[in-house]
Amino acid sequence: MSPTFRRLAWGIVVLSALHAPALRAQKVQTEAEQRSHMEMMKLDCRQCHTCESPTTTTPCLMACPRLTVAQSSGKHVVSEAPESMVLDKLADQYQGVQFDHKLHAGMAEMNTSCSTCHHFCPPGKIPACVSCHSIEANEQNLRQPSLKGAYHRQCMNCHREWSHDTDCNVCHLPVGKYAQAHDKTDPTDIMGKAHPVVVAPKMKSYVTPYAKGPVVTFYHEEHIELFGLRCVDCHQKENCSYCHDLSKPQAQKKTMEQVHSLCSSCHQNAKCSKCHDTVERPAFSHASTGWSVGRFHSRLECRACHPTGKRISKVNRDCTSCHGGWNQSNFRHAVTGLQLDETHASAECADCHENRHYNLKPTCAGCHDDKRDFKAVPPGKYVTVSRKR
Amino acid sequence: MSLRRRDFLKLTAAGPVAFAAAATLPTSAHASPAPDNAFDDAYGVLVDTTFCIGCRKCEWGCNEANDVPRRARTEFDDKSVTTVHRRPDATAYTVVNQIAAPPETPQPVYAKVQCMHCNHPACASACIVGALRKQPEGPVTYDAWKCIGCRYCMVACPFQIPGYEYAKALQPRVMKCGFCAERIIKEGRKPACVENCPNEALTFGRRRELRSLAHQKAVASPGRYLDHLYGETEVGGTSWLYLTGVDFARADLPPLGSRPVPELTEKIQHGVFKNFVPPLALFGLLGLVMASQHSGENGGK
Repeated sequence: MSPTFRRLAWGIVVLSALHAPALRAQKVQTEAEQRSHMEMMKLDCRQCHTCESPTTTTPCLMACPRLTVAQSSGKHVVSEAPESMVLDKLADQYQGVQFDHKLHAGMAEMNTSCSTCHHFCPPGKIPACVSCHSIEANEQNLRQPSLKGAYHRQCMNCHREWSHDTDCNVCHLPVGKYAQAHDKTDPTDIMGKAHPVVVAPKMKSYVTPYAKGPVVTFYHEEHIELFGLRCVDCHQKENCSYCHDLSKPQAQKKTMEQVHSLCSSCHQNAKCSKCHDTVERPAFSHASTGWSVGRFHSRLECRACHPTGKRISKVNRDCTSCHGGWNQSNFRHAVTGLQLDETHASAECADCHENRHYNLKPTCAGCHDDKRDFKAVPPGKYVTVSRKR
Repeated sequence: MSLRRRDFLKLTAAGPVAFAAAATLPTSAHASPAPDNAFDDAYGVLVDTTFCIGCRKCEWGCNEANDVPRRARTEFDDKSVTTVHRRPDATAYTVVNQIAAPPETPQPVYAKVQCMHCNHPACASACIVGALRKQPEGPVTYDAWKCIGCRYCMVACPFQIPGYEYAKALQPRVMKCGFCAERIIKEGRKPACVENCPNEALTFGRRRELRSLAHQKAVASPGRYLDHLYGETEVGGTSWLYLTGVDFARADLPPLGSRPVPELTEKIQHGVFKNFVPPLALFGLLGLVMASQHSGENGGK
């Protein structure tokens, strides 16, 4: 072995030793990314990647993950999207389309949500259609429609469902030599007009054929506000044609099972009397359970205290069962409406609140023998507490 | 040996039949031959009828691109015509029809009809002057200059596609979709109908790729598609392929076997004249018969 060659070989060994940590760091990062993808989107690697070990530089992504990746990461909200946009990348024969994104997104909430159109949503910014669907058809991947095909397939799929119309001028106005031949649009056409705001009912009362309890009172607002249900949890497949398609055949009579399925998915094994009654029922009030949620607890979502999923479980009413960590130094007593004076602020909680039972009346007898009442001789001053949320 | 007139006729009739049978027997032995993929590298179009919305934009594009009576664009806005079953004719190379679908199908189903551009076109086989030809690039083209107007092609076509300009007294032509041959071969563009389809229900490409694309689609969405790529094997394969969600047997995609339509006739006709051996053999045989008869007469004297 010549000296030059030996030096070269040593150089390589030393260099690769120096680079090893860097290589390891890169690998760790990739693994972290893999984990976040899988945890966020609950996916198997092979659903998106074609090779064994994808990296950021060579992700070997599948050409179109449409059929495998239906769900998005769920991190996006409609309000972050533009209200409307103009689709005019192909505007040589027809004018660009004024697309009301907000309106469509609102309707999609009642159907299959954002993924109806945004069928590929990797974490981060939602990619524009054109970032995958090129303006010219992709010769290498015939399966992927060009931008024209992608737009039309998305739009026409629903539009022809309810309007039974495939005329171009429903969305476009023709330009150039075709503009003359264009008929004036129908003034009664709802296209291009904002959809009236759908007002969610506060309460709905149903009269059913059930003799023992014909009245079912359903508090719509309650189910959203209190129980945190999303529209799509109950309103499934309520697309445009659900309301607008007047040519559809009369709905068939639903079976007992179908009628009850929406409620029974949460109210499992409930007795009939759970919902059915002879009169309209009042709305749910937490006080009826024997525990009136006060100023602070009313701000919480149900699941903050009833964490066991869909079934509402009983909660230990002892304050310390949740607030075990409080003591005189970290609890700001003023939030109760009583600001303790200096002497009392240094007292331990249990000095006044016997056995730390905060829901019981506090006592002064621990220190004071004069049988005083804390209301008459307050251990500080009463303050007004802002009731603002 | 005395040969009566009746026997002579029998013999002469049996000869060609025997030859013809010998020529056709090998083919009838295999009932369903493998699809002929000779034109797999040629152009084709995959019609995904599940994406067809019956907008008639393909008809409009076709009308503008071809030498047929020009129609106003607004005529193609009338969708009601799709409910009446139409056929391509001398004025329209392609038409879109609504297909009778099962009642539970949520949306009306449409199918575009045009020349299928068979790998083994019966029209070209029937044409006695070679006016119709299957191009190596895929299209079955028509040369009006050669055509003598016999209309054998119209009889031969298993899809009954070619139309005829009956209304023209002078130089009427056979009219059928030419796959925009000039446009796709010389200009490198797509056929007019494909270019105009807004929903991209039509995919233009090499037949091999289209076949694999269709099978991918059918495997990925079994509920959407029937497991049958129409045109892959029908009449020996066609350049235009149909992927459907409903059975099209009652519409314009008739159930046809996988054997090319001209297979039998071509086998007989080419067999009869193959290397000129059968005619020579037949006339040689006849000569022998005559010679033996002649020598018999001589011997009897």
